[in-house]
Amino acid sequence: MPWLTVSIVVPLLLAGVTALLPARPSRVPHALVLAATAVSAVALAVTWIRFDSARGMQLIEEATWIPSLDVAWRVGVDGMSLALALLTVVLFGASAAYGVGPRPLTRAAAGMLLLLEAATLAFFLAEDFLLFYVAFDVTLVAMYFLIALWGEEQRRYAALKFFLYTLIGSLPVLLGIIALFLQSEPQTFDMTRLATEQPFAGAGLGASLVFLAFFVGFAIKAPVVPFHTWLPAAHVEAPTAGSVLLAGVLLKMGTYGLVRVNLQMLPDAFAEYALPVALLGLLSVIYGALVAMAQSDLKRLVAYTSVNHMGYVVIGVAAAAATGISARARELAIDGAVLQMIAHGFVTATLFFIAGFIKERAGTRDLGRLSGLLRPMPWYSSLVALAFFASLGLPGLAQFPAELQIFLGTFDVFPAVAAVAVVGIVITAALFLLALQRAFMGDTPEPLRGLPDLHAREIVAVAPLVTLFVVLGLYPRLALDLIDAASWL
Amino acid sequence: MPNGGTLEQAKQVEEMMLKELAWLWPVGALTLGAIVAVILAMAAPRHRQGLVGLWVALAHLAAAGLAVWVWLDRGFMAVMEQTVVVDGLSLTLAALIGVAGALCVALARPSIGGTDREGEFYAVLTFASLAAVLLGMAADAALLGLAIGALGLATFVMTGYLRGSPGSNEASIKYYIFGTVSGAVMLYGLSWWFGLAGTTNLREIGKALADAPLAAVVASSALVLFGLGYKAALVPFHFWTPDAYDGAPLPVAAYLSVLPKLAGLVALARVLPMALPDDTAGWSTAVAALAAATMTLGNLAALPQRNVVRLLAYSSIAQSGYLLMGVAALEGSDQGLPALVYYAIAYAAMNLAAFAVVLAVQRERGSVDLDAFRGLGRRHPWWTATLVVAFLSLLGLPPLAGFVGKLEVFLAAIDADQAWLAVIAVLNTVVSLYYYLRVIAPAVLESPSATEASPARPHGALTAVLGIAGVATVAFGVAAEPLLRLAERATALT
Repeated sequence: MPWLTVSIVVPLLLAGVTALLPARPSRVPHALVLAATAVSAVALAVTWIRFDSARGMQLIEEATWIPSLDVAWRVGVDGMSLALALLTVVLFGASAAYGVGPRPLTRAAAGMLLLLEAATLAFFLAEDFLLFYVAFDVTLVAMYFLIALWGEEQRRYAALKFFLYTLIGSLPVLLGIIALFLQSEPQTFDMTRLATEQPFAGAGLGASLVFLAFFVGFAIKAPVVPFHTWLPAAHVEAPTAGSVLLAGVLLKMGTYGLVRVNLQMLPDAFAEYALPVALLGLLSVIYGALVAMAQSDLKRLVAYTSVNHMGYVVIGVAAAAATGISARARELAIDGAVLQMIAHGFVTATLFFIAGFIKERAGTRDLGRLSGLLRPMPWYSSLVALAFFASLGLPGLAQFPAELQIFLGTFDVFPAVAAVAVVGIVITAALFLLALQRAFMGDTPEPLRGLPDLHAREIVAVAPLVTLFVVLGLYPRLALDLIDAASWL
Repeated sequence: MPNGGTLEQAKQVEEMMLKELAWLWPVGALTLGAIVAVILAMAAPRHRQGLVGLWVALAHLAAAGLAVWVWLDRGFMAVMEQTVVVDGLSLTLAALIGVAGALCVALARPSIGGTDREGEFYAVLTFASLAAVLLGMAADAALLGLAIGALGLATFVMTGYLRGSPGSNEASIKYYIFGTVSGAVMLYGLSWWFGLAGTTNLREIGKALADAPLAAVVASSALVLFGLGYKAALVPFHFWTPDAYDGAPLPVAAYLSVLPKLAGLVALARVLPMALPDDTAGWSTAVAALAAATMTLGNLAALPQRNVVRLLAYSSIAQSGYLLMGVAALEGSDQGLPALVYYAIAYAAMNLAAFAVVLAVQRERGSVDLDAFRGLGRRHPWWTATLVVAFLSLLGLPPLAGFVGKLEVFLAAIDADQAWLAVIAVLNTVVSLYYYLRVIAPAVLESPSATEASPARPHGALTAVLGIAGVATVAFGVAAEPLLRLAERATALT
């Protein structure tokens, strides 16, 4: 069975099926999304079982597509892409369980979710550059409609901004892909071959330009400061499940590309620019944390902490790219960076759910107007505390081992960067504790007293995420054995 | 040689030409189609004029089929004393014009059905298609001038078809004046070429121009470019485009935006390398600059448009710029011609799909203002799906036809050391996002206003075009291989 292809094609086909459903409200669209996600999850679980963690890119499935350009349907996995694909199905399962827009899920919303799921999986599993690019842009269209159709008040503006920024990022990536294609001999879009053959070996002007083209594209997606300005608008205005997917999965496309393309295909050029990239990562860490601290809207606060957390990933990748790093530290840095992508995916998804839950109940997410929530909503408050602690990097929760490894790896080449980046952790710790104090302690004002605690639907959505970030925190080997950068770097 | 030869020689030439007619079947089909259409239009009663439409649609399809047949059965050849080149490029154009022309006839039927002179309209349209096919085949200065002139005349008549409408008249007059001036300028340039080379054969002209004084070559070539640039709506010869599209009946605008434009671009791709071989006078860079200017001005001018037809007019100017990237890469890369051919086919599909939706909306709401598209998704999900697909394809998003087209022209540009042009095209693509979304967003995201005309009964022919062009836009992108392979083989005889 071509399991990887199945995991992509089934959601895609069912997305087509939703278009043919009758217009009247029914539970069928919801069932379709859950079914497709279940199929993808099973297919990826089987892949995990068949996966040999001692090898790099493997289980490649190939079918001809456009032979005259050497474009083919090539999908395969290494530790990083399998881990991210698994993250993707878990978050889609949670988002589908929670829903987007009116309930029950409309056929349009189901169609967009399925299209987004298929494209995201195709992106992480693609071993063909054209498929990679196609998937990148299809996620853009699907997310645009998710935000623009079911988002909050400023949704049209936020969706346009998201579309514009991502398109500005994706087009240089296209030029970079074409440059790699033209430079390869014989010309190919096969990513495995491009990574092994390295058509732009050495760090000449051409390699630098191609590196820059890819970097800009992925830096916008990740996002790296100063390319991050689309992020707050999109995350705040998106519907809850949209923000979850945006921050939990779509941001990872940027850092995944940074590793898959910049690091693996252009290592010489990356080595040249490792320090500036690390400094941009550091800027994201500090700036993201500081701006998050100034927010009173919980969702906006969470959005900015994403800038901070993705900054650690960028630092880790840049450290791994630098010359003079020891093999052990390089492995630590990249393992940490990938683990951070996974951990941040689960944690930040939980945080965006949390922001959505309170908005639905209290009609506001303003920390200045929320107070004493612990009393009416003990379960919800415990969930928030746990997620906050996970996000600030408390040992025992998933982001701690990730950030620790990044720091350990980075310390080998950029000790100053690592040292300053720790400040970011202090700031995020402060801002989360402050937020906890403001919203959950103290007296409960009258209108907040009768708020109901977590519903079953909400528990179903967040329970797997919480379980996973706790398990990964206690036993990071679970993911690290899978990621094992030593086998594919 | 016909001039000064003996009677015997003349007879031989005549015999050869008769044999060579076998290569001109597509031209023959359109000629026959047009002539019979004129007679049919006179003979058929007024309520039966639709028959003429059916006839010319079939003639167009026959021309497309015959183009395929000539390709497969006869192969490529320069015929008629080297004046007409029947090769992959011109046969592809002929087939494309055949299919796109038939689709335009189907688009026109609901709008002009029942008007007086309906039959003559179809006949004139067929003459225009005939001239467009010849324009793509011309390897002779005289034939080039003739084809440009005939194409101009036929399209002026089509533009001014709505005689009662001042807009249509104004559009026609503007188009006519610009058209005759640019045609005359081009003829003047061709006369210089003739003067420099002593022949009308473009290949001979090319040999002569290589040794001619540079100033004369540049000046005369610029004059020739005027005429072809006008047909292809290139900046700075584009001024007529929005007014003509807006004033003309909408199906005519669809026709103008696809057929004469692509014929002009194909003619450029033939004439420039033939008459100016080995990048004489550095025309590649000049054309690349023209491409950059065309896409930039087209996109910037499209931004403030609220009239969707004018928006599409400027969009089509911008698309000419992307298409022209293929021409600019002709000398520097062997990817240039395939890129142009693929993009031309993709453009025909997506632009006809876009015009079909606009036409459907205009018929239902009587307006092509942006507001007319508000809430379209609720009422006509399939129209809206076609609109979204067509516009995202024009924008160049994968996996649609327009994306593969852009991929091809970017590839050609970078391969031809014109990466700067690819960068400009990328910036332009970002700009174009704004106005394409400006139409899509209200259609998908908003609810229809309360006071609204009841849905018009969808016209069968229009729905068919909408479906065919929409499906083609997706299929040409997802399954691009056959077309890419065709584009690779659609070589030009040199």
